[in-house]
Amino acid sequence: MKNLLEFLGRHYHWLIFVLLEAVSLALLFSYNSYQNSVWFSSANALAGHFYQWTSAVESYFSLTKVNEDLTLRNYYLERQVTQLRRLYAEATQEMDSKEQSGLDSLSRYQLIAAKVVSNELGKMDNLMTIDKGQADGVEVGMGVACGRGIVGVTYLVSDHYSVVIPVLNSHSSRISCAIRGYGYFGVLRWYGEDAAYAYVEDIPRHARFKRGDWVETNGYSSIFPPGVLVGQIVEVYNARDGLSYKLKVRLTTDFGNLRDVVVISDRSIAARMRVMQAARDSLKLNVRE
Amino acid sequence: MSEDFLKRLGWFALFFLAQVVVLGRIHLFHYATPLLYVYFVAMFPRNHAKWAVLVWSFLLGLLIDIFTNTPGLAAASLTVIAAIQPYYLELYVPRDSAENLQPAMKTLGPLKFVYYILPLVLLYCVLFYSLEMFTFFNALYWLLCVAGSSVLTLALIFTIEVGRGR
Repeated sequence: MKNLLEFLGRHYHWLIFVLLEAVSLALLFSYNSYQNSVWFSSANALAGHFYQWTSAVESYFSLTKVNEDLTLRNYYLERQVTQLRRLYAEATQEMDSKEQSGLDSLSRYQLIAAKVVSNELGKMDNLMTIDKGQADGVEVGMGVACGRGIVGVTYLVSDHYSVVIPVLNSHSSRISCAIRGYGYFGVLRWYGEDAAYAYVEDIPRHARFKRGDWVETNGYSSIFPPGVLVGQIVEVYNARDGLSYKLKVRLTTDFGNLRDVVVISDRSIAARMRVMQAARDSLKLNVRE
Repeated sequence: MSEDFLKRLGWFALFFLAQVVVLGRIHLFHYATPLLYVYFVAMFPRNHAKWAVLVWSFLLGLLIDIFTNTPGLAAASLTVIAAIQPYYLELYVPRDSAENLQPAMKTLGPLKFVYYILPLVLLYCVLFYSLEMFTFFNALYWLLCVAGSSVLTLALIFTIEVGRGR
């Protein structure tokens, strides 16, 4: 008996080992009867709280991607709304078939999601840099928009970055736009000062519209598809030459808080531009002859 | 509570968190998962109370099991490693070394440390995946799991060792 006790005293850790192994293996093999072992799984309150906490932390890491997706999604939906609104107007009134085929082609535009990496507001000629370039399919002269509306046009393109001329550039930004529902078109300009307001010029005198009407791109500029939101008319002036109206527009895009944008890329725009250029060239030739 | 105990508790928490939050979610090529916590057992110094090694290891294994929904799996495998570690370490300890020598690259020398840690990790991976696949045994998959996980685990351990040695 004494010997046995002595033996146990010397080798009691083996006893512990056998005990712990027995417990582990019992757990392992009784795992199939899940109800009994639920305490030993991640379904217990402690592990549950822990995982809830870690997943809360983890969700922050994917926010960037989520935000990007949302911007893209938002842009699609905005466009869809405009399209549907025009389709509705078409169904109730009458529109020619040419415009309808133009609407159908909208779905073919390819969008490149980008991030604004630098932005200016305070100057007369502001510029903006986005983090997508030639490698991502961006080319010079592509339209840039965000979920809320128009942003600008790409101007310089490097491999991975591009400089955009935003609407807020008093010298270089001239974007063709129109009053929604009426079709009268003009040119979007900005003259410094307030980044929230811009002007639409060259609206013909016979045009009929009212304050609060929406201004959107008209698709003539061969940069933007028709229906990208620009802003809302807040004031109407007479142009200095007295031949046209000048509209003060509250921009829907908040340039002071711009992060996710999309570059609108379409092969057919490029093709159209080539055709236009060819037509101009041939006209020049004809004139010369 | 001695300093040693608190330090070990810190390591315990660290290995546990690392495994549950980061390493356990890595499944490289669907079979290689780093099982770094076996390093916790390998780090026990010479002549540490054998029962303490067993209990520490069992608790770490159990805790990881609870969080990864594999009740008993890591606990059973890690306890085996804990049982042999004190005897196994004796094989590699230089004759005239300190009583409480801690196995590390610095104390054992790089080559001896490799000889010490490699079979230990390999054995752990063999035990772990053999127990896991007790019911549906697929030899090739088992081999890939053991090899992949061992390589990943060893790579991590050597990284840590080299980092600590400086």
